[in-house]
Amino acid sequence: MIKTINLQKSVPIAGGVLEILRGISFEIKQGDTAAIVGVSGSGKSTLLGLLAGLDVASGGDVIIDEQSLAALDEDQRAALRAKKVGFVFQSFQLLPALTALENVMLPLELSGNTSALDRATGYLERVGLDHRLNHYPSMLSGGEQQRVAIARAFAARPQILFADEPTGNLDKATGDTVIELLFDLNRSEGTTLVLVTHDERLARRCKQQFVMESGVLEASH
Amino acid sequence: MNPAVLLLRDWRGGELGVLLSALLLAVSVVVGISAFVNSLQSALVSESLRFLAADRVIRSSQAIPNEWTARAELDGLRVAQTLGFPSMAVTESDKLYLASIMAVSSGYPLRGELLASETPYGEVRSDVGVPKPGETWLAPRLFALLEVKPGDRVWVGDKALVVSGAVRGQPDTASAAFGYGPRLLMNLADIPATGIIQPGSRVTWRLLLAGEAAALDTFTQWVTPLLSQGQRLLGVEDSQPSISRTLDRAQGFLLLAGSLGVVLAAAAIALAARRFSERHTDHVAIMKSLGASRGRIARLYGGSLLMLGAVATALGCALGWALQGLSFKLFAEQLGVQPGPIGLEPYLIGGATALVCLGFFAWPPLQRLAQIPPLRVLRRDIDAGGAQRWVDYALGAISVFGLMWWYSGDLRVTGSVVAGLSLTVGAGYCAAQLLLRGGRVLGSAAGSVWRLALANLQRRGAANALQMVIFAIAIMLMLVLVIIRGALIDQWQAQLPPGSPNHFMLNITADERASLASFLSERGIESQPQFPMTRGRVMAVNGEKLAAADSAQSQRRQREANFTYADSLPEANEIIAGEWWDADTDEAQVSLEEEFAQRVGATVGDLLELRIASESFEARVSSLRESDWQSMKPNFFVIFPRKTLERFPKTFLTSFYLPAEQKAQLNALITAFPTVTIIELDIVIAEIRTIIDRVGQAIELVLAVILLAGALVLIAGVQASVDIRLRESALLRALGAKKSLLLGALLIEFATLGAFAGLLAVLGAEMAAWALQTQALDLTYQASPWLWPWSIFAGVCLIGGLGVLSCRKAVVAPPLVVLREL
Repeated sequence: MIKTINLQKSVPIAGGVLEILRGISFEIKQGDTAAIVGVSGSGKSTLLGLLAGLDVASGGDVIIDEQSLAALDEDQRAALRAKKVGFVFQSFQLLPALTALENVMLPLELSGNTSALDRATGYLERVGLDHRLNHYPSMLSGGEQQRVAIARAFAARPQILFADEPTGNLDKATGDTVIELLFDLNRSEGTTLVLVTHDERLARRCKQQFVMESGVLEASH
Repeated sequence: MNPAVLLLRDWRGGELGVLLSALLLAVSVVVGISAFVNSLQSALVSESLRFLAADRVIRSSQAIPNEWTARAELDGLRVAQTLGFPSMAVTESDKLYLASIMAVSSGYPLRGELLASETPYGEVRSDVGVPKPGETWLAPRLFALLEVKPGDRVWVGDKALVVSGAVRGQPDTASAAFGYGPRLLMNLADIPATGIIQPGSRVTWRLLLAGEAAALDTFTQWVTPLLSQGQRLLGVEDSQPSISRTLDRAQGFLLLAGSLGVVLAAAAIALAARRFSERHTDHVAIMKSLGASRGRIARLYGGSLLMLGAVATALGCALGWALQGLSFKLFAEQLGVQPGPIGLEPYLIGGATALVCLGFFAWPPLQRLAQIPPLRVLRRDIDAGGAQRWVDYALGAISVFGLMWWYSGDLRVTGSVVAGLSLTVGAGYCAAQLLLRGGRVLGSAAGSVWRLALANLQRRGAANALQMVIFAIAIMLMLVLVIIRGALIDQWQAQLPPGSPNHFMLNITADERASLASFLSERGIESQPQFPMTRGRVMAVNGEKLAAADSAQSQRRQREANFTYADSLPEANEIIAGEWWDADTDEAQVSLEEEFAQRVGATVGDLLELRIASESFEARVSSLRESDWQSMKPNFFVIFPRKTLERFPKTFLTSFYLPAEQKAQLNALITAFPTVTIIELDIVIAEIRTIIDRVGQAIELVLAVILLAGALVLIAGVQASVDIRLRESALLRALGAKKSLLLGALLIEFATLGAFAGLLAVLGAEMAAWALQTQALDLTYQASPWLWPWSIFAGVCLIGGLGVLSCRKAVVAPPLVVLREL
């Protein structure tokens, strides 16, 4: 379960304060899928950063499984992420010096998982890249890179998966494949999926949809 | 994940190459030079000990007590004895000649080799022992002078000795000269039978000692209180003072070079670590988004840095050891020097260097990686803050200063380099920024290649200024070494140029002067001016009588010396106080050599009472001189104006150069001028020249290593900015820019940086070279104007070339490949 209470974010700018989020409250149940949509600059990515504990709110709170993020310091939030959170990014964020397999193993190694190799190999097979295990990111296509990123996100078996424009850098056909993969895995793993996207089709596949406009959550379905 | 995995993956990804090379170079340069200096020092000390033929020598005018010999043997030392004196050698046909007799016990020499041959100029052998009792070996020249051949008999006192060989080389020729005649070597056991040695005879006994340092120290402590008047303990410092100064300077240079190597390597490490941390920024942000804590990141990078340090230290120590081994092999094969012990110190210094370089240059940017906000995975515009800050540079500079000081053991050397560096960094940074701004004004009016290049320079102004200063430091340190090396070698060559006098002649009477000069010139032998010489003594200073010359109580004693007169200041002398006189002065003045003045306790303005034969006279000290005793030119402690000394009886002294192949001319000279004494210094000069050559080669080798370190800094410096330049060039190509435009712009950009760096470098180098030469290394400073255009030219070629080479990928590879890999 993930819940926000009057979540605010502002940053100082020359001659004042820029309010990016102006009091956001919503709740997403365990196993649900939710999409946050909105135009560029509406505050979607800022909201995602706060939800995942990558950033600190100026006011309000985020609750993940009864745990207030505001009460945690950076290292405690990192520990929470290691245990419960996974990411898929628009720009894939694979490490160029690591092979596909090593990229997937990375979060498992960080949490001290002893069967990192087997599990990573298994997830790369599930995303259809078992023939690309030892390829470096620069040797993979965009779609393949995003599938590695999805394998990495699911391999750590997170409770919540945050995806930031997961199809933003992909063509329609490749994007569709990636979306299918994301929802399939979500179903089979029982993960809560929170998406930030421009993509209407992608948003429509989610159970809940939140529309961001000028830092305010306008509507929800 | 553990640090070793991170390290392996980074290694595979090519991220560690420059960092590891820089670290390896730092450690191996420090260990190599330090070990080489230690080894060279021990080797040259033992080389110098050859001049003593032992590790220590007790010189005595009386027989050495038997209990001293027994005690030395009990302490575990090897001993030998020699007895030297001038005496007539007489043949069966009553030919006679004053020879320098040396009687030696078996075991002589304890260090170095005694060389002999069966006939005067026969095959030289070193495994010959010493002459057997009843036999003698003569200097080749003595065979001719006495008209004897092997098997003939020669009398020394009452003892007849059979000539059984020729003495061709003795390690202690210079320190064991007894009179100036040619050598006659005999066995010590025959001495009683000669009947020559009576109480009061003017002879020199020498007890030669060799063995472990500890045993030598034990014996020295025991014997020192027992030494009486006329007995003296000699060590290596007494063997060849002219060599020790050469070695001091060479060692200063080598340690300076090592220190510069440390600075260069530290700069390379700082640059490489900066790039490493920049390239790891996203890596860390992703790991943090995946749940790695700050502590975890710090431990991961700290651990991998420590491992890198350990690997680099181990490899660097091995490389350093190999480096010194290699350099020694070069010398040993060519010149027959055996490496001395190295000790542990070089490795400790190497380890400390690695620790300081990693701790102060590599760790700060890596440590700050842990502070990277994980939000960077969503927003790449967030400042990573990973680069070094001024406080890092300040701490690093202080630590390197400390390291240099420890390493060179000389605050003046360290201070001189730091002064030059400060000038380059301080003035350089300001100038760099100004020049770069000026460049934009110029650039806006230039063609498009220039506009692009200068706009690039301007846009990255601060980063470029920093890069330029680092280039300047690297070039500066290399220039300093080139300048100092040149100055040292010049000085050494000037000290003993080819054709330096290698023979001295004493006791030339006034009547013989003209005929001697024509004798020499007829045979094409070029001689130096003839100096008048009178034996005299300083009796009192300002009316205060000095203690007798043989008094043991007072430091200030009467001193006997060779007096001379001169109209002008002789060569290889420099006035350090007072003034030289007018040639025709009537005043009774005297000019003293600095150390001699100290020993008699006199200074400028003091009135000396002097005595020549039985006549006393007074003269006022009008100047003190510093004499260059390495010049191998006649030098005098006490010099007077012509009118003060001319009236006293005197002989003359001169020196000349005689090549080895004309050595036989000496026989004719001696026959023509039998009362003239000849001192042969050719062997000593050859030895000195050999050592200088060896040290010169060592310096060349070390210079090459340092130039390599400098090149590495330049490569690291260029690489530091390659990523951003690659990205921009790839983008421009994607937008349709031609290869020639990009290559031209890159070349101009790096060449401009190189030109400014070269200018700043030569400025700092001149400053450091001035300080080093005048304050630390006791050399004469000369500006090097020729270096200015060269430095700028080298900066343009090196930085321009390296820059274009490093970024050529942006021009050659398809833009998409470049963009995808970044």
